[in-house]
Amino acid sequence: MPIDAMIQGFLLIADPYNVFLIFCGVLIGVMVGALPGLSSPMAVALLLPFTVGLEPVQAISMLAALYCAGTFGGSITAILINAPGAPPAVATAFDGYPMAKRGEAGRALGMAAVSSVTGGIFSLIVFLIATPLLAKLALQFRPPEYFALAVFALSMLAAISGKSSIRNLIAGAIGVLIGTAGIHLTTGVERFTFGIPELSDGIHFVPVLIGLFAMGELLSQSQALNVTLERISSIVIKLPSREDFHKVKWTVLRSCGLGTFIGILPAEGSTIAAIMGYNEAKRFSKEPEKFGTGTIEGIAGPEAANNAAAGGAMVPTLALGIPGSGTTAVILAAFIMHGLRPGPHMMNETPHFIYAIFFAMLLANFAFFAIGLGGAKLFSRITLIPRTLLWPSVFVFSMIGAYSFSSSVFDVWVMLTAGFIGFLMNRHGFGPAPLVMGLILGKLVEESLSQSMIMFDNNWLHFFESPIVVMFFVLTFLGLFWSVITRAVGRCVSRARPDVTLERGD
Amino acid sequence: MADPVTGAGSTEGGRKATSAFSFMHRTDLVLTLLIFIVCGALYYITTDFEEVSLLLSQNIGPEWFPRLLIWFIVVLSVALPFEHLMRKQQAASIDKDRSDRIKPISFMTAALLACIVASIPLFGTLIAMLLGCVLLPLLWGERRLKILIPFIILFPTAVAILFTQVLKVFFEPGLWGPTIG
Repeated sequence: MPIDAMIQGFLLIADPYNVFLIFCGVLIGVMVGALPGLSSPMAVALLLPFTVGLEPVQAISMLAALYCAGTFGGSITAILINAPGAPPAVATAFDGYPMAKRGEAGRALGMAAVSSVTGGIFSLIVFLIATPLLAKLALQFRPPEYFALAVFALSMLAAISGKSSIRNLIAGAIGVLIGTAGIHLTTGVERFTFGIPELSDGIHFVPVLIGLFAMGELLSQSQALNVTLERISSIVIKLPSREDFHKVKWTVLRSCGLGTFIGILPAEGSTIAAIMGYNEAKRFSKEPEKFGTGTIEGIAGPEAANNAAAGGAMVPTLALGIPGSGTTAVILAAFIMHGLRPGPHMMNETPHFIYAIFFAMLLANFAFFAIGLGGAKLFSRITLIPRTLLWPSVFVFSMIGAYSFSSSVFDVWVMLTAGFIGFLMNRHGFGPAPLVMGLILGKLVEESLSQSMIMFDNNWLHFFESPIVVMFFVLTFLGLFWSVITRAVGRCVSRARPDVTLERGD
Repeated sequence: MADPVTGAGSTEGGRKATSAFSFMHRTDLVLTLLIFIVCGALYYITTDFEEVSLLLSQNIGPEWFPRLLIWFIVVLSVALPFEHLMRKQQAASIDKDRSDRIKPISFMTAALLACIVASIPLFGTLIAMLLGCVLLPLLWGERRLKILIPFIILFPTAVAILFTQVLKVFFEPGLWGPTIG
């Protein structure tokens, strides 16, 4: 491990201004996470234009801190008002809210904070070890391998997240198609510009991200103005007891491993990780029947897993340039916006940058632990902000954010159009995350495919000469058709069973 | 009784409909047709791309990749109307999300947002921001002046200061709007 680079990274983050920015990111993250409807990807997308004037390391550290804190912030409202502030906190509400109703809100919040920090730190240790290794492996990648990897990433997102893999794949392909607008790099031909000069440079992804995540949600929220939230009034914050820790230690450890692994897979990490963390906690529990009625393991499992996934998702993002989740896709956009392209070369050329992000996330974990516990009461009150003022504020930030990106009203129209389309797509089961992933990976997919085809003299079969490509293609196939395969196998087995009984009967 | 969304199980004169359409999800069928139309239009546009020599394009013309994607989308879209037969639970969840009609308030909100953005070249970014802070809460039924007035005054001022003074963003003054920053 290059100690010099680590020290350099640490010194970068130790700068008081950078520490201040990380704390700002944590504060915004916890607040946004606590507000139902506002999600981490949305907050990161909204914060992107603010970071234009910052140094890349400051910008990325702030966004990464927001990502960590946002994942935890969702648990506050999940526990206190049964309204998960963010999707990864859905499973936390199952047991958190019943505990809060019993007057144990503080214990639940304390356990959520401790488990989240444990998960976060565990995944950062894995991040520290796995990122250089993965980057070293990726140095052998040529365009065909990158193409296969990008396809695998898109397929994983399609297979795992959302409600329909077909819709996710379509959304991802639409994202890639949007990314083709503008001047074709090889030939200089304008594509899908419709005579609009602003489109010659392509569609900037920042306004699209803001539109999809923020405006789409704003329109959804306009349909739910009358929804009121139930609230727990008395909160006494106390850390979990030694007995509690003893009870959940294995659950937390299991969830840490599970969450980090899921986070590393290029997919929608935190939410899936939290649900799996909850299920595994229940499966291994001595009292599974108590789940759903307010058990401490039901909080520790998902909370450790979702924060571990946040750290894990940074591994493929930094080592391969392939986002590990919807939020890291937006963080990848921030890298590109600042003129950087994460991947194996970054690990080789500017390793201190990667370590700086590691220290930023580590600091963010401790910061949200302190801020989250100390300010839980306050953050639960954030939900008192009337929606009639909250969402107009989001609109103003979106409008100014999209405008300030290149001081162009055209970008504001792009943002608004993306919002309208995102709202309609979301209604019909097409999630925004695959589209964003497609948009961000689009250039990589096209360039690597074109370069591969040129290398192979237009012969597709050469793709199968590389074992890495074959491996990614097999994984892609399994990812997409796993459920179909298992269902078919299950059907065959169930058909075979009566015969077996008959034979036995005979 | 026919399913209002899928149309499955509809009867005609007491007879159960058995046409190919009865297996299709009506909303998704419309969606597929819509995707076909958009893809058709985009494909047509690709035929209009400037032609380049094979030497320059190295056999990979500018239209090649977009066409590949369009075909990919079209092929996948064919499965949409039948998806509810394969994945019943997921399809039910999607149907639940879209079972209610889009409320008029959403259309009004979308129209208002478009009007506010359209007003930027006329009144400038600052006034457009103010309009957003005043009109959107009013449209959404906020009538508590005690919280509305401080919001209208403080929020846009804070945002304007943040962007113009700290982040040095130039706010478009518009034809009749004020110049700041």
